[in-house]
Order: sequence, then C-alpha cells, then structure tokens
Amino acid sequence: MKWLLFSLSLLLTTSALAQTDRYVFDTDEQAVRFEELTKELRCPKCQNQNIADSDAIVAKDLRERVVELVKEGNTKDEVIDYMIDRYGYFVHYDPPVTPATLVLWVLPVLIVIVGFGFIVIRQRKASVKQTWSNQDEVLLNKLIEQNKRQEQS
Amino acid sequence: MNRKLLAIAPLLVFAFVCVFLYQGLFANPREIQTGRIGHEMPAFTLPDLMQDNKQWTNEALKGEVYLLNVWGTWCPTCLAELGYLTKLREQGVKIIGLYYVQGYDADFDGPFDMQALRTEVQDMLERAGNPYQFNILDLHRTLSLDLGVSGAPETFLIDKNGTILLHHTGDINPRVWRSKFAPMMQELK
Repeated sequence: MKWLLFSLSLLLTTSALAQTDRYVFDTDEQAVRFEELTKELRCPKCQNQNIADSDAIVAKDLRERVVELVKEGNTKDEVIDYMIDRYGYFVHYDPPVTPATLVLWVLPVLIVIVGFGFIVIRQRKASVKQTWSNQDEVLLNKLIEQNKRQEQS
Repeated sequence: MNRKLLAIAPLLVFAFVCVFLYQGLFANPREIQTGRIGHEMPAFTLPDLMQDNKQWTNEALKGEVYLLNVWGTWCPTCLAELGYLTKLREQGVKIIGLYYVQGYDADFDGPFDMQALRTEVQDMLERAGNPYQFNILDLHRTLSLDLGVSGAPETFLIDKNGTILLHHTGDINPRVWRSKFAPMMQELK
C-alpha cells in the first residue's frame, strides 16, 4: 500500500516551465503587457505567426522595440498604434472597423438575421389557419361531381 | 418572381464566392504593408556604408526624386535585381541603397567587421552592376523598422519634399517598373 501511494504521488509532480525570461521588466504589469502585445502583433515576414512565435529578424526587431516602448511606459494601444503607423493595419491581428473591413463584421450578423427571418416567414406561412365554410363544402361537392362525370364519359 | 429570385440565390452566392476565391489566387499577400505611404521620410542619422565619418540624414536627401532600395549581399533576389536597377540608373533614375544588415547582434557577434562588409559589397556591385549613388548603412535596422520594412528587397519612391509615395515589397523588374513605378515617375516630372 505504501509503495502504491508512493508511486502514485510521483504522478503528481508539477511540470516545470522550461522557458527562461529573455527580457527583464521593472514591473509585472509591464511583463504582462509585453506578453499580450507579442501575441497580438503579427510578423510582417512570416505572415501566419505572431511576433512571439516567429524567428524572423523583423519579428525579433519588433519584439525588441515593443520591450523598449513598454519600458518607456507606453500603453498597449500606444504600442499598437506605433506599429500600425509603420507596418499598416496588417500588423495587428485585431482589424479595426473601416469601410474595407466592414464586410467582415456585418456579413455574419446579416447571414444570421436573414436565415432566422427565412425560418420565421416559412413558419408563419405553414401555420396559417385553414377556414372551411359551407360555401366551400358546396363548391367541393360540385367539383367532385364534375370530375366523376368526366371520368364516366 | 420572388420564388425565382430565391431559386437563383444559391447560384449567386456560389458565383460571388468563386470570384472572391479566384482573385485570391493571384493576390500578393505582401502587397498590403503600406503604413508609411503619404508620410514624410522618418527622421534618421545613419552612416555611409563605404565612407568613414560620413553621415546621412533625412534632411540631406530632400530636393530630388529618388528610389530608396533596401538590400543586402546576403539576399539572392537583391542580386537578381541589381542588373535592372543599374539600367534604370543609366536612364537617369536616382537610386539610394539602404543596406539592411542581416541579424547582426553585438552581444553575440562582437564588434562589427566593417571592412569585410565593404569588400563583399564592392565585389558584388562590380560583378552585377552598381545602381547606387551611395549606400546608407542600417546596422541595427532602426530606419528599416521606422519605414515598415519586413525584409529585402524592398523599394520606396520618395518625392522632392521627402514624402513616401510608393512602397514595393519584392524585386523590381521591367513588369513591376512599368505597372507601378513608371506612371508615378511620369507624374512627378
């Protein structure tokens, strides 16, 4: 029993984080800001990576510039604007609402609205109450009679 | 009428998607980095690549239309475009080189070997043609970052007032020159 507990306890070790901090910040808040920014900024060279993941020279340069800017006390938005000034909206993974990108934001909503509208209209049409009067009954009988005669002739 | 419209709606959507995806096939994903167009050349003070004690500033470059070509001897595409750029120089286009040093890190590499770089550049320009009036050395890629450069080769067209008019990523060949640069150069004359 003792051995079993011991061997089970071996499984409970926490994993050590192998990553060492390459950049040193004055406050934890700055480190967090840096971390967030490098994940949100896109590497202009290897386009499907953020600058935290990329090994391209330009990504390294951008990381170092982000460190400088964060240490100087710039807010997150200020750093993002700084990069957009140089590399265009492209450099940020969160595109702003502009006439060119409007379709990205509007289209999904529009599709949902149109889809639901379609369902609702169909539903209404299907659930229209049938009315049946004596007149209709007379008309129906007449039509049946006519049909019978046609078949016989 | 309404029903007919509804019937062809899927076809319309399909056609739209086709057109959208088709033009995506030929779109160049590197064409969109246009952060600095319409702005003035960022302020800088950087040394000349070939001469000691010579410094270039953004102010010193004003007054003439010129191309700023970002390049390096380590970059094969830059080597490939040197010939055509030299032809352009012969036609009277002023081209200034911005030498992009590939990944130099003072902490790892020790002092920068300027002499070795100069010899390398001279050799290459003698072999492939020299389109440059002069070269500015961007050792720490600071001006490159301010210009939104992501690699080499890249070329900027700058007017007399120092305003950036064009930012082209990739090589300059006759096709690119005709479609992108020539019309603008014509306007500037």
